[in-house]
Amino acid sequence: MRAFLDNLRLALGTFLGNPLRSLLTLLGIVIGVATVITMMGLIEGLRVKVNNDLGRMGAHTFQVTKWPAGGFGRINWAKFAKRKDFEMPDSRAIEESCPSVGTVVPTDDEGGQKLATASSETRPSVRVFGTPANYPLVSGVSVQAGRYFNEVEALDGRYVVLLGTDVSDALFPGMNPVGHEVRIKGRPFRVIGLLQKRGSMLGMFSLDNQVMIPLSVFHQLYGKKRSLDISVQAKSPELFSKAQDEVASLMRRRRDVPANMPNDFELHTNESVTASFNQLSQVITIAGVGVCLLSLVVGGIGILNIMLVSVMERTREIGVRKALGARKRRILGQFATEAVLLSLMGGALGLGLGFGLVFLGNWMMGFPMQVPPWAVGLALFMSCGVGLLFGIYPAARAAKLDPVEAMRAD
Amino acid sequence: MSQASGAGPLIQVENITRVFHVGGEEVRALRGVSFGINRGEWVAIIGQSGSGKSTMMNVLGCLDTPSSGRYMLNGKDVSRMSDDELAVIRNVEIGFIFQTFQLLPKETALANVELPLVYRGVSAKERRARATAALEKVQLAHRMHHRPNELSGGQRQRVAIARALVSEPSMLLADEPTGNLDSATGEEIVRLFEQLHKAGHTLVLVTHEPKLAARCPRAIRLSDGEIVADGDGRTVAMGTASDVLNAGGA
Repeated sequence: MRAFLDNLRLALGTFLGNPLRSLLTLLGIVIGVATVITMMGLIEGLRVKVNNDLGRMGAHTFQVTKWPAGGFGRINWAKFAKRKDFEMPDSRAIEESCPSVGTVVPTDDEGGQKLATASSETRPSVRVFGTPANYPLVSGVSVQAGRYFNEVEALDGRYVVLLGTDVSDALFPGMNPVGHEVRIKGRPFRVIGLLQKRGSMLGMFSLDNQVMIPLSVFHQLYGKKRSLDISVQAKSPELFSKAQDEVASLMRRRRDVPANMPNDFELHTNESVTASFNQLSQVITIAGVGVCLLSLVVGGIGILNIMLVSVMERTREIGVRKALGARKRRILGQFATEAVLLSLMGGALGLGLGFGLVFLGNWMMGFPMQVPPWAVGLALFMSCGVGLLFGIYPAARAAKLDPVEAMRAD
Repeated sequence: MSQASGAGPLIQVENITRVFHVGGEEVRALRGVSFGINRGEWVAIIGQSGSGKSTMMNVLGCLDTPSSGRYMLNGKDVSRMSDDELAVIRNVEIGFIFQTFQLLPKETALANVELPLVYRGVSAKERRARATAALEKVQLAHRMHHRPNELSGGQRQRVAIARALVSEPSMLLADEPTGNLDSATGEEIVRLFEQLHKAGHTLVLVTHEPKLAARCPRAIRLSDGEIVADGDGRTVAMGTASDVLNAGGA
């Protein structure tokens, strides 16, 4: 322990005696660690965000759709287009013949819409959702002011609308929109509610640039020849997978899917959607660790180089220390400690830089970056390891020096 | 520390040889050297360059091991020890004083003097106290926070002597201690050696200077790897060949 403290003091002295050279040497490790922290921060931030965003689907709820959601890689859209649409009778059939199912909520939506008032209008980027009255039960949508439309309004096909905060800000800046009138496709709607702000999905598209109208009205506006997304909530969490099985076999029967063929529709759960993202983020994580390892190796060669120079410069000192009774292991320890401390400092600087970049990314670009604690541990552990790995050879060379020869060096 | 232990000579060298292999050729630096040194003696080892005195110094200092023969130091046979075992012997038994001082340039005088204690595992507090006391012995307590480049040559050598004394070794081994000093400063150092001798320290001084060897009560002259004279310092240093009779120790 005392030997370790002495070594630490010596190593610190060397570092402080030559700060510029030490810093330049450390650049490789600094960059390596900063890279891994930034990348991990980005990936972890996205992962958390995705889980939050998609988690808004509601508890023990899944969705039956014609189209696959998200997914990465090439998607054969033509193949999916040939699938049969989901229509209201499908939704009613699930409600009637699946005993484990609690709530069934068919919805439809259309993007790229424009809303207007007498004095202003939105950009043509608003997504219009048609839903039944019980939609808030199965979704993350909640009402901030006013109320959701009720059963009667939904069935009657009243022209009522709830605005997302982006839409409200565009049309009624600084005002409560409830009670005002807006136009969608030229038809007048009465605003009955303002939705709770939900933020953006993956920091890219806003979940607040949307409005909700009754499904029957949606069909009047956009036609009925479309496929519904059917959200299904199981009666209880325990019945979740049973409900999925019931719905899947019911749909296969209704759509005449032969027994040996796969489903011609999609079942999405929070898990299935997030799983595909998590898979991608894993690939990026591994790639990131690879990049980091590579730059740490480069950094390690820097350490190797500087330690060899250091041993050469201090040959005389090593000779004196050995003459005065330092054993091999002690000299080895001294130089290994120096190398590890050096690269740990690089690691710490890299952490600082990485966190700085993450902060900048958050602040300037609104990326939802978040550094997982294990990445900090990993970065420090790896820089420590690099110091040890690349420092041990120069240290061993120092330890092996003959004191008489070494003291003769200049 | 171990100064008073055991009977018999502190150093017993028996028929030591040291052979180097340089480019396929055999160089016999020491060809069967035997002598003894008792506790409290002050002995000069003198010889021309190439006489084998540097090799002798390295062997006596446990920086090198003999090719054959036996070297007993303070009751221990050190002639076949491993590098690490020798490091411990050097730390405990020997205080080195080098011609070029061999102080660590970036450390203060105090830290330089503490160094042997660092490798003995002495606590920082005790190290400091003992190093301060050693610097006081060489009248350098007031300069202990200075680095070597802020000290004069004589002061540097006194720091080195303090470093040799601090671990209370059984012998002080000095290699041309006045070689890098002007004559006045050299005289200062020799007087310090005289004081240390009077205080009971065992001193071995390796030099090529007859004037310095003449100040020692006893001198051993090496030539061509063999002892050619061993006796009274002044007589041996002046180099008359008639003193060969004492060669070979007891």
